[in-house]
Amino acid sequence: MTGPAILLLLAGLGAIAWVSARARALRLQTVARASGRRDAVHSLPGYHGWYVALWTLIPAAIFLAVWANVAPGLVTQSVLGDPAAQSLPADAFSRAAVLGEARAIATGQQAGAFNPLSQGLVEPYRAATTKYGVAGAVLALVLAFAGGAYAFTRVRPDFRARTRVERLVMATLLIASLLAIITTLGIVASLLWESFRFFSMVSPIDFLFGLKWSPQSAALGYGNDDAFGAVPLFWGTIFIGAIIAMVVAIPLGLMSAIYLTQYASPTVRKWMKPTLEMLAGVPTVVYGYFAALTIAPALRDFAAAVGIHGASSESALAAGLVMGVMIIPFVSSMADDSIAAVPQSMRDGSLAMGATTSETIKRVLIPAALPGVVGGVLLAVSRAIGETMIVVMAAGLAANLTVNPFASVTTVTTQIVQLLTGDQEFDSAKTLAAFALGLVLFVVTLLLNIVALRVVKKYREAYE
Amino acid sequence: MTATRNPTDWKSEAMRRRIGRRYAAERRFKLAGLFAVLLSAAFLAFLLITMMGNGLRGFTRTEIALKIDFPASPLLLDPNAITDEALNQANLPMVTGAVAKKALGADADALLAPTAWVSIRDAIRADPKILGRTETIDVPASTAIDLAAKSKGSPEAEAQVARLKQQGVLSTAFNGSFLTASDGTDPTQVGIWGAFKGSLLTMLVTLALSFPIGVATALYLEEYARKNWLTDIIEVSINNLAAVPSIIFGLLGLSIFLNFLSLPRSAALVGGMTLALMTMPVIVIAGRNAIKSVPPSIRDAALGIGASPVQVVFHHVLPLALPGILTGTIIGMARALGETAPLLMIGMRAFIATPPGGITDPATVLPVQIFLWSDEVSKGFVEKTSAAIIVLLAFLLAMNGLAIYLRNKFETRW
Repeated sequence: MTGPAILLLLAGLGAIAWVSARARALRLQTVARASGRRDAVHSLPGYHGWYVALWTLIPAAIFLAVWANVAPGLVTQSVLGDPAAQSLPADAFSRAAVLGEARAIATGQQAGAFNPLSQGLVEPYRAATTKYGVAGAVLALVLAFAGGAYAFTRVRPDFRARTRVERLVMATLLIASLLAIITTLGIVASLLWESFRFFSMVSPIDFLFGLKWSPQSAALGYGNDDAFGAVPLFWGTIFIGAIIAMVVAIPLGLMSAIYLTQYASPTVRKWMKPTLEMLAGVPTVVYGYFAALTIAPALRDFAAAVGIHGASSESALAAGLVMGVMIIPFVSSMADDSIAAVPQSMRDGSLAMGATTSETIKRVLIPAALPGVVGGVLLAVSRAIGETMIVVMAAGLAANLTVNPFASVTTVTTQIVQLLTGDQEFDSAKTLAAFALGLVLFVVTLLLNIVALRVVKKYREAYE
Repeated sequence: MTATRNPTDWKSEAMRRRIGRRYAAERRFKLAGLFAVLLSAAFLAFLLITMMGNGLRGFTRTEIALKIDFPASPLLLDPNAITDEALNQANLPMVTGAVAKKALGADADALLAPTAWVSIRDAIRADPKILGRTETIDVPASTAIDLAAKSKGSPEAEAQVARLKQQGVLSTAFNGSFLTASDGTDPTQVGIWGAFKGSLLTMLVTLALSFPIGVATALYLEEYARKNWLTDIIEVSINNLAAVPSIIFGLLGLSIFLNFLSLPRSAALVGGMTLALMTMPVIVIAGRNAIKSVPPSIRDAALGIGASPVQVVFHHVLPLALPGILTGTIIGMARALGETAPLLMIGMRAFIATPPGGITDPATVLPVQIFLWSDEVSKGFVEKTSAAIIVLLAFLLAMNGLAIYLRNKFETRW
């Protein structure tokens, strides 16, 4: 029996269970009320319905989930026991290839066989698949009936169906919230695991402090010793994300926030704030394309015109400028919040002393809001160094240790994409290096976020 | 003895100059602020206008009017029995080439797109009677001609365009196949439908996973959880996940979903699962704010007339908080729709020429398609890339507009 059909059948059984249990509970309620005991039935009929339906569905669903993982192994066992499997090659690899082909033909994914051996296995495969499919379906239905019947016998006036159902709801909510922890653990575990494998091949010291990055030469067998020095990548990341992008984003973001909170009329603010926020909503691939197609060639021509040598069409400046523009809304909304959090009395006091608005802003509001602004800038840096598409499309691949903004540099995220989108063998240092880079990126952004949140939090408490 | 100070002479020259300086600084500062706002907005406008300028041309294509004398052509077709099979056997691509050579000259192969015969097939299918007469059919021009006609081609193609213009056979038409075709190798025949369908399927998986999980988490943390180490860890993880770079989620998807669970590569299923992990924290944070803004008096009233805590939440709090949760969900989905990097990690950058049929089929999504086209050497892909960007931006704008509309419509003040 096919998967969707059995699921549909189970859903039908669940619905029947719900309806019949609810009907029974309703009858009990009517009987109890007729005899004048209004509170004789503990739970509403709907809860009895849910209780029975859940008992019908959940054991069967759990069984099906387990079965879906166990059945393929059983099917393979059964096929291998078939007389036609006697002629299979002895080594595990070609055996698996033949079995895979037979499976593909049996499930209709593949029309004909390349290997004549697999053709003979198709029929045993189909037979075994059908056998275990039917067995699984029958067992699931039996479980559904058994669960439903057991629950149905418990539909009595004094049975606390609501408590049971609500306990399940609470458990579901708790499990859902645990998923965030599981995801975090998954990230940390997968990064650590692959990074350990990488560091068993390449020394962490060489990785963190080496000055030469050329994983391609390592892959070609020229030795791993000095090919995985990540310092040029760290420098490129900092140069683009923390220097060039911030030179654009901090003044523009901060001044925008000041103008929109202190000077602009409500109408201007109403229109300009969402407009600036649109900058954060544009997908990064669009920024990357814009940087690579429009900004980078323009910058190269400009550099050539003013006589700067070594200008590349993939420059740190193009990627940094565009990234800075993308970051403006982050800086400005954080600055906006922290300026708004400065008590009005401080502003009024300064103005009453005769200071102009700009003097008030520069000498009172900004110093008071500074921790919040710094926190916002740190969050923006963390965002900028984790940004991928702009640098992949506009910053280039050459691992240069340069301070020339017109030269091509590469970043951590660019290299992760480069290392993982070619041919993938998960035993080579080249592929695993991506996870080591990912680990560094994760740790650095995590630290930046923690520091930023600390700074913001500490400041928030100051005026309360 | 106390130091006496003369009263300030506000009218003195020095004082007046000083105040003038301060006011000038004030004006400069205000102008700098205005300048920052306008510069940021100008950048956005520049970006959008550049994309529009490049991209709107991608929705049109240059067509060449091809005059075909069907009875005289080497086309072996019975007008009364036009079936798909007969059309396939008629070898239309070759016939089209021969006819074009007769009508346009020896360089006709360079003038017409490789898919020009499709237009002729569709014309015959629409009206088999044209097989009995001479008919003029608009067929798509080749990439070189298309570019030259839109005024940026090579000198050779420019000359051909000038000649065709003289013959009066060039025209510009809406490129319907851009919306219905999938990825291809020739820029005249590519379209976004495959990538769009991939995006839809991926979003479907993302929504189906992240919405229930996100809402459940928000409800648990806001309504039921006691303050202890477990909830502290949950909260820290959620805030942390919201700030993790997206490419890290790609690494997670690669090593857990693909290598450990061996789910299908390049599939919308895995893409959706990866994006769901990214979107969930956004929904949780928005959901908690929405739930927090439901006044406690509503909970107290429900509890007061005997509702259980679960009933209070599902009958009263959740319905009131739902508009806020939906707004957050739409914003999270819009972010997921524009996300590229994690999907590159799980192999959604493959060349996919047929739209995916289900969530386990190999698929690509719009942003990745844009990324792939941006790497193409052929010049014709520039306008296709920008056109795809316009479609993506239009969808994002629509989603964000919907979020703002929902927020305004359901905004409640208690």
